[in-house]
This record gives sequence, C-alpha cells and structure tokens, in this order.
Amino acid sequence: MASETQAHPPADHGHDAHGHDAHEHGHFGPEMWVIPEASGLVAEVNEKQRTTPGIFRMVLYAGAALTILGIVGFVLKAMTAGFSDHRAWGFYVATFAFVFTLTASAPLAACAFRFTKSHWRRPLSRIAEIFSLVSIVNILLFIPALIALPDIGVMTEGGEQMVRRSIWFQELVNPSGWLLAGMVGLSFCSVAILWLAALPDMAQSRHLVTGFRASLYGKLAGGWYGTKKQWQVQKGGLAILGALYFMMVVFVQFLVVSDFAMAMIPGWKDSILPPFYTVISFQGGLAAILLVAYAMRRWGGYRDMIGQAPFWAASKVLLGLTLLHTYHLFAFFITYWYGRLEVEQAILNYLMFDSYIGIFWAQLFFTFFIPFPILVSNHARREGWGAPLAAIFIVIGLMLWHIRIFAAAFAAAPAELGGLYYLPSNAFSFPAMLLPVPGATFPDLWDIFMILGGVGIVLLVFRIGMMLLPPLSLWEMKEGSMYQRVDTLIRGRYLVLTKPE
Amino acid sequence: MQEGKVLPAAQINRDLLRSILETPRWFWPVVSILGLVVLAATITIGIMINTGLGITGLNYKVVWGFFITNFVFWIGISHAGVMLSAILRLAKAEWRRPATRAAEVLTIFSLMTAMIMPIIHTGRPWRILYWAFPYDFARGIWPNIRPPLVWDPSAILTYLTSSTLFVLIALVPDFAVLRDRTTGWPKIVYTMLAMGWEGNPRQWKLQIIAGVLLSALILPVFVSVHSIVSWDFGMAVAIKSWHSTVFAPYFVVGAVHSGVSAVVFAMILLRWAYGWQDYIRHEHIDALGRLLIVVATGWFYFLVMEIIFGIYGLEGDELAVRALQFLPGEYGVAYNVWMIVFVGITYFLPVILWLPKAWRRNLWIMSAACISVNVGMWLERYLLFVPGQANKQFLTFTWNDYLPRWPEALIVAATFAFVSMLMLLFSRVFPLVPLYDIKEGDILRTEMQIGRRKLTATFRED
Amino acid sequence: MPNAQFEHKWGMVADLDKCTGCQACVIACQAENNIPINTKDYFLQRRAYEWIRIERYWEGEYPNVKARFMPVLCQHCENAPCEPVCPVFATYHNEEGLNVQVYNRCVGTRYCINNCPYQVRMFNFWHPNWPARMENQLNPDVTVRSRGITEKCTFCVQRIRRGELQVEARDGNRLNDETISGGNYDPACVQACPTNALMFGDLQDSNAAIKPYFDDVNAHPGHGEHDRETRGYRLLEEMNTRPSVIYLKKIDKYPLEAGH
Repeated sequence: MASETQAHPPADHGHDAHGHDAHEHGHFGPEMWVIPEASGLVAEVNEKQRTTPGIFRMVLYAGAALTILGIVGFVLKAMTAGFSDHRAWGFYVATFAFVFTLTASAPLAACAFRFTKSHWRRPLSRIAEIFSLVSIVNILLFIPALIALPDIGVMTEGGEQMVRRSIWFQELVNPSGWLLAGMVGLSFCSVAILWLAALPDMAQSRHLVTGFRASLYGKLAGGWYGTKKQWQVQKGGLAILGALYFMMVVFVQFLVVSDFAMAMIPGWKDSILPPFYTVISFQGGLAAILLVAYAMRRWGGYRDMIGQAPFWAASKVLLGLTLLHTYHLFAFFITYWYGRLEVEQAILNYLMFDSYIGIFWAQLFFTFFIPFPILVSNHARREGWGAPLAAIFIVIGLMLWHIRIFAAAFAAAPAELGGLYYLPSNAFSFPAMLLPVPGATFPDLWDIFMILGGVGIVLLVFRIGMMLLPPLSLWEMKEGSMYQRVDTLIRGRYLVLTKPE
Repeated sequence: MQEGKVLPAAQINRDLLRSILETPRWFWPVVSILGLVVLAATITIGIMINTGLGITGLNYKVVWGFFITNFVFWIGISHAGVMLSAILRLAKAEWRRPATRAAEVLTIFSLMTAMIMPIIHTGRPWRILYWAFPYDFARGIWPNIRPPLVWDPSAILTYLTSSTLFVLIALVPDFAVLRDRTTGWPKIVYTMLAMGWEGNPRQWKLQIIAGVLLSALILPVFVSVHSIVSWDFGMAVAIKSWHSTVFAPYFVVGAVHSGVSAVVFAMILLRWAYGWQDYIRHEHIDALGRLLIVVATGWFYFLVMEIIFGIYGLEGDELAVRALQFLPGEYGVAYNVWMIVFVGITYFLPVILWLPKAWRRNLWIMSAACISVNVGMWLERYLLFVPGQANKQFLTFTWNDYLPRWPEALIVAATFAFVSMLMLLFSRVFPLVPLYDIKEGDILRTEMQIGRRKLTATFRED
Repeated sequence: MPNAQFEHKWGMVADLDKCTGCQACVIACQAENNIPINTKDYFLQRRAYEWIRIERYWEGEYPNVKARFMPVLCQHCENAPCEPVCPVFATYHNEEGLNVQVYNRCVGTRYCINNCPYQVRMFNFWHPNWPARMENQLNPDVTVRSRGITEKCTFCVQRIRRGELQVEARDGNRLNDETISGGNYDPACVQACPTNALMFGDLQDSNAAIKPYFDDVNAHPGHGEHDRETRGYRLLEEMNTRPSVIYLKKIDKYPLEAGH
C-alpha cells in the first residue's frame, strides 16, 4: 500500500494548488493540509520572521503606547484613590484577572494537544507557548492587586473584628504570600515549558540569526545537539512540566477567583465558580491563540504552514468550550434561582438581573449567542475565518465577564462597613449577606486607561516574544512532516498519519 | 499506535460472531443463576409494593436511601456509552473501536435498570404514570413541570431513545452479516433488523452521517441527564450539603469515571469469556486506562471543590453535616471511615494502579482498579446523600441514621445481576464487538517507514 | 372553596412566652386529624410522627438551666420549597394561603419531605391501624390516609371549611376572630392550648388579633428584625420561605447567670 513514502506538494505551489483532489472526497472537512517539506522550513521561517509586515510593527507600537497609557492610568489612580479603599481597584483587578485568565491557560493548549498527539496542533504550539512570557507581566500586575485586596480579618476602632469569608478559613490572616508564590511558580513553570519547547528550534536557528538573537540563542540553546538522550529528556520534561503546569493553573485560578471574587461578595458561596473560571480561561486561551494564528496566516505569510485544518479542529474544541462555559453558567444560575434563598436572590440580582444586567446580557451574547452559530457552521469552521471571528467575540465577552465578576465583587460590600462585612465573632451563627443589593459600579477615566493598558502590555510582550523566538514550532512541524504521507485508498487520496508512542 | 495484526474479514466474522453462532457451556448456568437473583428481587419488590415501604430501613429522617443511591449509580454507569462512542468517535480515536458497542449497550441496560429504582422507591408506584408520562388530559391534571423529578424522566427517556437509535444504526451492517449467516427463524428476524442493508456506498454514507449526527446531538443529552439527576439534590435547599452549584459537572465527570471503568471491566470479561484476544487488545485497555487517569483527576478536583466550599461558608448547619461526614463517629456512625475508604478506592488506589504502563496492560490489575472505582463511586453517592438527610433539620434535636434492611440490599444486588444477565443475553443475539467498525479500522490502517522503524499509520478522512 | 364571596388568608401566631410545652396541642391534633397511634414499634423504627410537635431546647448547664419550648407545625409558607418539587401537584398553594396536600395525587416520592426546612412533612410507612374499639372515634371530616403518601398539618382545613359553610355561605357573615373561636372553627391545637399561646386568624380581616404581628414583621423583613416593634419573628427567615406562622419571642424575666 505504501506506494509513495513521502509525498510532499511541490515547493513552488500557489496557495490553492495543493489538496485539490482530496477536497473532492472530504465530505465536510477543510482541504487536505500537508505540512511543507522539512528541509527548507527553518530558513523559510527565519526569512518570514525577518521581513515583518507593517501591520505587525503597528501592533508593537500600539502595544507600547497602550502600555504607557495604562501606566499613566495606574499612577494617577494610585495617587487619587490610594490603596486603602479596595473598592477603587475593582476594574484594575478585573483587568489583571482578564490578562491572567487568557495568558495563563494558553500554554496549556500546547501541552494538552501534545499529550493527545493531535496532528493539527503543530503550528499552534509555539503561539501558545509564547504566551508564557506574559506570565512575567502577570506577576507585576498581581502585586498591586494583592495590595488592594483587603485582609481577611481587620480589627476596627470599636474592637470588633471585620472579616470576610475566605478559603483560608481565617487561619492565615494574610494569604498574599501564598498567592504570590503560586503566581511566581506558575510563571516559572510556563517559562520553563517555553524554553524547553523552543530549545531545538533555537539550536537550529542559531547560525541563521544575527545580532542579539544570535547571542540569545547561543546562551539558551548552546548545549543542544539533538542527541537521542537530549530528545528524550526534552519530551519527557515537556510532558511532566505540562502536567504540573496544568494542575498549578487550576489551583492558582481557584485561589484567584475565590479570594478576589467570591470572598469579596458577602454570603456568596458558589462551589462551581473555580471550575467555571477554569473553563472560561481555557476558552479564552484558545481564542487568543486562534486570533494570533489567524493574523500570522493572513498577514504573516504562514498560509501553507498553518493551513485550514488547525482551525477546523481547534474550532471544534472552541465550540466545546463555549458550550461548557454556558453549561457552567446555567448550572450556577439554576441552583441559585431554584433555591430562592434570600442571599441567593440577592446575588443573582446583583450579578445578573439587576445591577449588572446590561453587562450580563452583553457578555452572554458575546460568549455564547454570537460565537455559537458561527462555530456550528461547517462552512465558517472550514474556511479558517470562523474560529477567529468567534474568538474576537469571546475575548471581548470574557473581558465583560471579568468586569461583571471581579469589578462587581470589589464594589459589593456595604460602604458603612468600610468595604468589608461584619461576621459575628461566632462564625457558626447567621451568615452575612449581600443585603441590600448595591447598584452597578462604573469605571472612571483611569480605570479605562488601565484596562487599555492591560490589553496593550499583552500585545507588546507577545509581539516581542514573536520577534525573539521562532514563531513556529519548527521541530514539531518537522516531526509532523515526517509522520505524514499522502496515499491512495480505494479511489481517493488521503492523508496518512502515524502517532508513535 | 495500534498493535496486533490486520485480520482477514472472514476471520473477524468468524471470531466475533462466535458468541452468537455457538453457545459456550457456561452460558446457561450463569444466566440461570443471575436470573434466580433477579427473580428473588422481583418477588421482594412485589412484597414491598404489597406491604409498603415499611419493610425497608427508611425512616422519617432518611427518606431517600439505597434505592436512590443505586439509581444515581446506574445513571452514572450509563454515561460510558456516549463518552466512548460519541466523544471518541468525534475525536477520531482509533482505540475506541472494540469498546463502543459494549459501552452503548451497557448504557441502555443500565438506564433501564436505573429507571426501576425511583419507581419502586415511591410510596405508591402504581400511580407513577402521573408523573413519568403526562397522559392525563381529561381531568386537566398535568404534572407539575417545575420539579427536577419531572425533568428526570424527560432527560432519561430522551437519552434512552437516542442511545437505542445510536446502537441500532451501528448494528445495521452487522445485522446484515448475521442475516447472511443464519437460517430459519433467526434469519427472518435478522433480515427485518437489517432493513435491506446491501453495503452500497449510499447506504454507508447515510449510516456514517447518521452516526456522526447522532454523536453530536447525543452529547448535550448526555451532559443534561446527569446534570438533571444531580439537580434532584442540588435544588433541595433544606438539606445542607446538597445545595451546591458544582453538583452538575461533578456528577457528570463522576459518571464518566465510573462508567468507563465499568466498560473496561466488561471488556476484560468479554475478552476472557469469548476469547477475543485479537480484538480487545492490551493497547485498548491501556488507552482507556490513560483516559481514566485524566477523568479521575478531574473528578477528584470537583470532589475537593464540593468539600471546600461546603466548609467555606462556616454555616453551623452545614458544618454539622460535614462533621458527620469527616469527623470520628461522634454519633455512633463511622461515616468518616467510609469517607476515607471511598476516596482511597475511587481515586488514589486506581490512579496508582493505572500509572505504570505495565500495570495498565495487566488485565488482573486493571480489573481490580475498575471494580474498586465502581465500589467507590457507589459509596460516593451514598455518602453524599445519606449523611445530609440523617442530619438535615435546622430545628429539631433528633437526628437519625439509616441502616438498610434486607429488601434494599437484595434489590440493589439484583440490579447488578440484572444488567449482567441482559448483557449476556444481548451477546447471545447481537455482536458485542462491532464487526464493521473493526473492519473499517483495519482498512484505514497502513504502515509508515520512519528511519529504521516501521510504524502503523491511519488514513484520515479530513 | 365552598364560597368565594370572602377572601381569606389564614395565619397563626405562636407566643413562646406563653407556651409551657404541655403537648395538649399535639394530642388534640392527633385526635382531630386521625393520625395513627404512635406505638412503641413506630418509635423504634423511627417512624412515629406528629403534625405539630413541641421542640424542647435546653439552655445553659445544670443546675443553671432553662427549658425552651417551641411548637412547630407546617408553616404554610407563601414561598414554600416543598411546592415546586412535587412532580404530581400533590402539594400546592390554595387561594386562602394554605399549603395543601392532596392525598389522592400523592405518589410518595418524598422530595417534599427532603425539601422542607421545618421538617413537618411526614411519610406514612405503614397502613394506619386503630384498635377496633377506637375506630368509631375517627373524625369523619378527615380522610384516613393510606400508606405510601406524605401528610402534614392542614391548619385543620375541615374546620375552616365548616366555618365557611356555616357562617359565610349560610348566614352571609364574614368569619372573624370572634366567630372563629365561637364556632370552634379554629384549628384543634389552637382550641386545645390551655395558655392561649396559639392564636389563629384571617389576615384579610383588618381587625384580626394576629394582624399587627404580621404587619410588623412584614414591614421589617430579614435584616430589619431589630427595628420590629413586636416580639414577632419567623422561623429561618433567611430561607426566604415567608411562613404564615409567626413566633413571638420569650421574655426572659430571670435570665441565666452570666459566665456560662
């Protein structure tokens, strides 16, 4: 059966030249995607990286400008509001959480689909891993948020203790150290994943690049010779680090969303929130990856290397995550709505139906009602634009989600208690409640600056990462081109894949 | 990567139809024993309907006991079918092929068994049609659609219908094979069931489209069934520890955990009973074991969430339930011991057994791990439902525990016998490993030379 | 409803300052409503039940100790958790503010029992039996419930109905506090209470003695409870069930010694 061992499309083909015959047979799917031949790959990617299109340079400048705007906003906010009143920092925390949500889980996409040996992941892996660099920004963004976060227990002038509920159960008065340690560990782990994954690529490219990158690659990948032992260590390390990172992400997200959102709203006891947050973070991370992949394919000249198949496959995963998002939302809603307890009614009114009703519906449309029809359409998924289009809406919707949860949580507690709420010294008695339900909170100008700055700094750091590192996972692409073949089965031409252990 | 040889189609037919065309000597004795257990339970149910629920161990505090635990357990088992056939089919996992049919059939039988439980648990089961089937137009009495107990039959019956369709569509090509190899009245039956299948391209195309469509459409049903079952408990405000938002995904993941384990055990049994070593191979069990590690870890995460946020509120009533669950037997009940046993045998023991590759490929160890998961998941439901009820009241000072009595124990045991019996009888008339799916896998399978190694490879349709 | 010409909303007030825990209400209820005799067997099986029970709480430690009594019966919640969970509409809210149980519809799923925060719904595990000599004393106005169903306090709906027939339908007068107690149309527990700790009335009647308590509690819901003028409160107010029974706090003339 193995009539052709390695059937690669000719090197000089046009964009639509290959895969024609396969397309006639495939019933729903995209045109057959064959990874280009491995020999010229390294040089080609380096060439593409050198000739950056203008739009990418624009991203860099825009990111830098927005970052400066954000810093200005932050400084002015700190000067005008100070850190004593946490209610001024709701939108800042929402911005931090948004950036953290998207970027912390993006590298997981690389690990997860490498674990499942999905062929289509190969061009997306590096995009996902470069998001690791943003994790350093996450730490920086996290420190002011930690300062703004009120302590679990505060003694007031009257000698009474103001406390909020927390997952730390009043045992550790100041969990900030643990939270920060979690963030730093997360950042360290994800950068290690990036380094380990990019190691072979940097080693391959170290003679092709010049200037700063040459010395960087020399330092980072100097000892890589591609021996069998090194490959074993690299692949094993990636698998172990990936599993470790997965658990750490889930754990830190649990800490962040419980401490910065749930504990801030009196009486909010919602066990689905951490899984919910994790699901939306996977959704957002994948959406961000797909947006970058689309930009690279559309403007960066990676049309053949990325192909339609990654979008076709990834958009199905995105559809699943979008449905899961809505499912978790519904599971939360139905339990509270049906339960009809006083505090549940108050929280539903606050987060969904009264104070934040506009943001809630906008968010629901952006994260479900608009992306869902796009993602179920075979046409939109196949052509490669469906998933990125849905991803734009999802990213905007997730920003709104963070405002609805985090900004609302920071503004929730009644003012007369100094923003915290009173729990009687005997914590076993009547639980504190969100009553009366406060109104919505609105951002001031500095908040808007900081939100823009949060988006800007991600663009900036990510773009720098794309400039410094090979933007395509070269070794995975090469591996992919080795494990693939186009072959005839009965009357059709199909892609043949192997997936060794 | 697949292991084992590509077998000729004739041999596949011969091997996989062996269970139908020949009767092993152990078959009827085993079925009879199982049948006797079921008969005894049926008589017990009759006595229970005749004299009332007084003969069970239920009391005025714990009104939902073994039957509801067992109901949720079997609904959980039913989630294996879709997990394996629909999700893995959409994910194009090659190693799903021998497992799909057994999983789907187990789905159907466990759903049927599960539905018996809430019916016999009611005080007046003969009136159940009121609620399960909204038939009574004439008197203008329409069942209340607000309770989760009415969502239950809707979801379960939808799931049962769609799973049955799913199995039937997958069975049609195999029915045709059977039609061509039988004589007499079985031939007539198989001819009707095969519905004129000739195996022409159009029929195949329709069969594949139907399979893919049903896979995609059944997924929301799959999620909704156990979510709704979880809402039987999650909607109840008066019992602390039940009213938790995480219940829906927690139950779904737990269901997949126990269901897939049950399927693995069933496959190992089938392999042993019918000599299907060439079809249910070590690599399939291995892959399922790896899937189970992921599922189990996800389940454990939800379990931890449920417990942490149960305590998080620091509300006295809820803490009392948690104390009953976790602290040493202050009230004469050792729930804490059971809790430790349950977490140990549901998560830690099996995951440790699944981690080394050699153990995943050892069928004895795999069987032990899968049985341990299912015992643990049964305990999980019991420990989730009963302590909350034993200690449910906000006001009263009397707490009361629950001890099941023999009718409940017998009926619960008989459900296991019932499902096993149905599976055996099914294997007697229908192929439990899909012939056409195995053949398709063999056709799509090829080889690839990489360096000095020859690897198996797969043709991809998109 | 036998006569729709008058609207009612029935309510009850239990004054804990007057309650002595004598259990007369329990016995009256048992006799009025054909509740099976709680035999020794039933107690051992933990299946004995009462429609109204006296809860007894100890406060302090011996010898510095006080007993507190609280009669708990179906609260006839306006927002009852038991109602939406019944698959067969066996329990629902009627026009007079009563949470009613239709025994004929009930199939015995027992979800309502699990969803009642007050634990006043009871399941009939056995067919009820009375000694032959007692069968003639069963109340003919009340159904003898079969096994396999859930039952609970009805606010003695049979007496209310009799009042509606005799006073409203026949005489055309609205039931008020005076006619209710004069004609023995109030629930058996209220009638039997020797200290008049239980009061029954119609909240639609502006002159009802219980109305001020309800007005006060409704005007200061939940967190406003410290602003209330009366001693009134509802059980488990945070459950948002809005019961039709109001309790009046006990006045502690001789509080427990401090330090315990």
